[in-house]
Amino acid sequence: MNALLLSALWGVVMMFSSFLVKEKSAIRNMAVAGLVLLLLVNILEMNGKVFFDINTRGMIYFDRFSLLFNSIAFISTFIYFILSAKDMEKVGDNYAEYFALIFFILCGITLVTSFKSLLILFLGIEIISIPLYILTGSDKRNLKSNEAALKYFLMGSFSTGLMLMGIALIYGAKGTFMTFVPPATVKEAAQATPASALLIAGMILLLFSMSFKVSAAPFHFWTPDVYDGAPSVFTSFMATIVKAAVFASFIRLFNDAFGAEKSQWQLLVAIITAATLFIGNITAVFQQSVKRMLAYSSISQAGFMLFALYAMNGDGKEGLILYATAYSLATIGVFAVLIKLKDFSFEGFNGLSKNQPILAATTTIFLLSLAGIPLTAGFLSKFYMLKAAMETGQNLWLVIFAVLMAAVSVYYYFRVIQAMYFKDGDVSPDLTVSPAFKTILVFLAVLVILLGIFPGLLLNWYYF
Amino acid sequence: MNYSQYIALIPLLPLAGFIVLGLFGKKYFKQSAGIIATLLLLVSTALSIYTAYNYFFIDGKIDGVYHSVIPLKYKWLSFSENLSIDMGILLDPIAVMMLVVVTFISLMVHVFSLWYMKGEERFSTYYAFLGLFTFSMLGLVISVNIFQIYIFWELVGVSSYLLIGFYYDKPSAVAASKKAFIVTRFADLAFLIGILILGLQGQTLDFGVLIQRLTDIQSPQFISITSASFIGFSVMTWALTLVFIGGAGKSAMFPLHIWLPDAMEGPTPVSALIHAATMVVAGVYLVARLFPVFYINHVSLQLVAYVGAFSSIFAAIIACTQTDIKRVLAYSTMSQIGYMLFALGVSGIGDEHELGYTASMFHLFTHAFFKSLLFLGAGAVIHFVHSNEMKDMGGLRKLLPITHIVFLIACLAIAGIPPFAGFFSKEEILLAAYNSNKFIYGIALFTSGLTAFYMFRLYFLVFWSKTSSAHAHHREGNAAMKTPLVILAACSILSGLVSFGKYVSADGKEIESHFHLVFSIAPVLLAVTGICIAVGLYKNESGKPQRVASFFGVLYKSAYRKFYIDEVYLFVTKKIIFNLIGRPAAWIDKNIVDGLINGIAGITADISSAIKGIQSGKVQGYALYFFGGVLTLAIIFIYLWK
Repeated sequence: MNALLLSALWGVVMMFSSFLVKEKSAIRNMAVAGLVLLLLVNILEMNGKVFFDINTRGMIYFDRFSLLFNSIAFISTFIYFILSAKDMEKVGDNYAEYFALIFFILCGITLVTSFKSLLILFLGIEIISIPLYILTGSDKRNLKSNEAALKYFLMGSFSTGLMLMGIALIYGAKGTFMTFVPPATVKEAAQATPASALLIAGMILLLFSMSFKVSAAPFHFWTPDVYDGAPSVFTSFMATIVKAAVFASFIRLFNDAFGAEKSQWQLLVAIITAATLFIGNITAVFQQSVKRMLAYSSISQAGFMLFALYAMNGDGKEGLILYATAYSLATIGVFAVLIKLKDFSFEGFNGLSKNQPILAATTTIFLLSLAGIPLTAGFLSKFYMLKAAMETGQNLWLVIFAVLMAAVSVYYYFRVIQAMYFKDGDVSPDLTVSPAFKTILVFLAVLVILLGIFPGLLLNWYYF
Repeated sequence: MNYSQYIALIPLLPLAGFIVLGLFGKKYFKQSAGIIATLLLLVSTALSIYTAYNYFFIDGKIDGVYHSVIPLKYKWLSFSENLSIDMGILLDPIAVMMLVVVTFISLMVHVFSLWYMKGEERFSTYYAFLGLFTFSMLGLVISVNIFQIYIFWELVGVSSYLLIGFYYDKPSAVAASKKAFIVTRFADLAFLIGILILGLQGQTLDFGVLIQRLTDIQSPQFISITSASFIGFSVMTWALTLVFIGGAGKSAMFPLHIWLPDAMEGPTPVSALIHAATMVVAGVYLVARLFPVFYINHVSLQLVAYVGAFSSIFAAIIACTQTDIKRVLAYSTMSQIGYMLFALGVSGIGDEHELGYTASMFHLFTHAFFKSLLFLGAGAVIHFVHSNEMKDMGGLRKLLPITHIVFLIACLAIAGIPPFAGFFSKEEILLAAYNSNKFIYGIALFTSGLTAFYMFRLYFLVFWSKTSSAHAHHREGNAAMKTPLVILAACSILSGLVSFGKYVSADGKEIESHFHLVFSIAPVLLAVTGICIAVGLYKNESGKPQRVASFFGVLYKSAYRKFYIDEVYLFVTKKIIFNLIGRPAAWIDKNIVDGLINGIAGITADISSAIKGIQSGKVQGYALYFFGGVLTLAIIFIYLWK
């Protein structure tokens, strides 16, 4: 609750600050300060200190899962700000507004990780989506950016329609918006009624619209265009933090509302997962631009995160926490380096190791983590996911397929490493990066390795 | 004996070398990097030998049985009450033997490289990589659980990737390193799935407990893993097969061997270390580690035996035709590893039957010495003539006297001529095969004749044949080069005399190794025949080899082209996978996704037509796909409805 209110408040503050504050560095500092504050109040709430206690009639409920996810989102955003906030200046003149929009998105994130009512879920998803449409189109003079925003908006509206339809059907079936209604009596609990067709129809509509939001196949078509068209700084944000948060809500929704029907939707989710892994990985192999490759890689990584939904057990949730963190940190790192380069193609990375050894080395670690090489966070998170899926005891083919696809992913991630180390080239000789930027990248790389060795550092927060 | 006081130093010293040289090597240790790394490894080697001495002679044996000792262990990840992943050190006969082999061969390679790599621009980087590799390999052999072995397994893969691609300005080296990494990585993924299954079914990843549970036919884990089945085979067979695929990938067994010949692009001392003595035997080591489990599952053990036997003869035939000195050695390595694997495959547990296990480890031990000697000798030759092709060599015996002698010793050892090391280990393998599987024995016998032939073909082509003196101005090399060669040659002669069965066996008990004089006649005669043919064909330059080659015609040609396996892989990946799957995916991307972007980019000059571009049906197309997806999945869902 703390973070929910503060993020909305800070969004408004940031919005008005553009009238009062002209200095860009001051705006930036304000945003970073706001984020630190957000993180602080959220951690206080994890320790039981709630400042605002609003009666939401049980529609919003913060548990460990949601609070931990919020913290991860805030920490990732914090790292993202200090790495890339300066690069937002290049996008356009409305510097303060970009931050305001990001704070609104964070507000939406706190909603979608903590909802207990479908209405709140819908509100949260929309609060996230609308600022994202704007951020995608924020490079106003760039046709590609406009185009992407329009496309995103149209497709997004389409999926929102599905979602509303689904919610309406479920309301019709259950008579309530609450995701989980505890049975009134023991007797009622014992004789669980079979789910009605109305409820099931609503459920699969929700499944599709959420699949769209996390860019699972076959609802992924918007992703490459939008990620490619949007200004790179914002692609970084939406491909990582936003995606991870929507995954959290996806899990939460299916765990609470449709846990009982698990046997019905499990195989369908397995099919979606396999399709997502397949399309993401195979298409990524053929990309010529690293930015576009990362867009497809985000699809394939989403495929792995879908394992948590498929397995829907304790290991899966732990795995998702670890996966979301590992993926967000590594991708933010790679994007931060990518933004600094002029040329987004693979050739653009040629010889980076000679000019900028630190950038090249840290990028290598991020890519190794994304590819799932041991001793990085990416490996352990994949391991948790596969283990969770194995525990269900069914559909072994999915695990085998996923592992095969992970092997394919090595190919395209290593292309970047190969370009940096094994190819000659003059990577933007005028490329200048501040020592602070390098320090943070190194810190991020250390974090990725630390989590790969001691995942307990993160996962212990989930308990006690 | 309290091993824990120092045992961790054995792998950590090379790691320290890697960190120090990797971070500061270029600045501060440009010249001294080699000496520093060598000294660190010298300490490691001394500690390993000390450990082996203590383990084998002082306190490893309790009531006549070698037990495993776990001097160090700490909990790393805990999943549940019972299932956790530990990190630690396990000492048992094979682990201790491998410690000695790895550190010793690595030390020889370190010393040899002082001469071989001298003047390289990235001299310190080279030693840093060697340190990383040695660390990973040592970590692999002393792993206490199957997950730890996997982590070091991957690290070994990464460090060998770095070493193979060391000459990164050579495109073929870069391609080879990538090929090695990707091929073995695919195999490793099978390994990972196997680990997951074993861990989940066995409820533990610890070697000791896992083996105990999966070999006890009363235990619930054993019952559950054998009763469940998948496409006709029990889950246990699947798990072990997957684990074995991982091992076969690293050990370059057919059909996953394609990376090994290409990996010869790396510096030659690296080949001696990685592709002769250490990394490539990891697969053998893995099977040996889980041997009791393999033994109880007949199908997977048979698979090991036949894959090993087939690879050994397959590689031997190819080796007879290759012209690149290192590739001959690469195929010979593959063939010898095949020996080790089928020896395991025909082995059993218990007094008489476990000869195969001991023989396999014995051959691993002796092979490490003579094969690394062959590679280092080849390195000396290559350094001398600046070519890998045997046609550029010939008549080198006067110019490289030391190399010539040690190379001859190694050739005799690998050919199995008594009293050289290879003779003893190979005899044991043949005997084990003879006792349990006559078919494999036949293959092995024939292969041993072939081995003698191709090794002496190599020997005569390099050191005799022509009487060229084109390189007379070169000198053979300094002490750093000669010392390791001479030491390894001594080992190639003497290591066969170790009564190996006393120390290493499947159940820890001593086994009697009988020496059957009569039995040895056939293989030795075959080997001598092989050598005689090689003498006849290659001792003096003549047209005979060509005539023999044309006599064998198609067989020769296809063996020369390595039986077209690479082409098959290329065909499958390029033609089938890329065309059938990749192309359509790329087509969608290019025509639907890119087409849109290109369409927009082309119209930037004219905004109105850009709007037209957006309205030209593409977004609607997306919506259509979306809708199609909804419909398809909904239909699937209804179909799946229970």
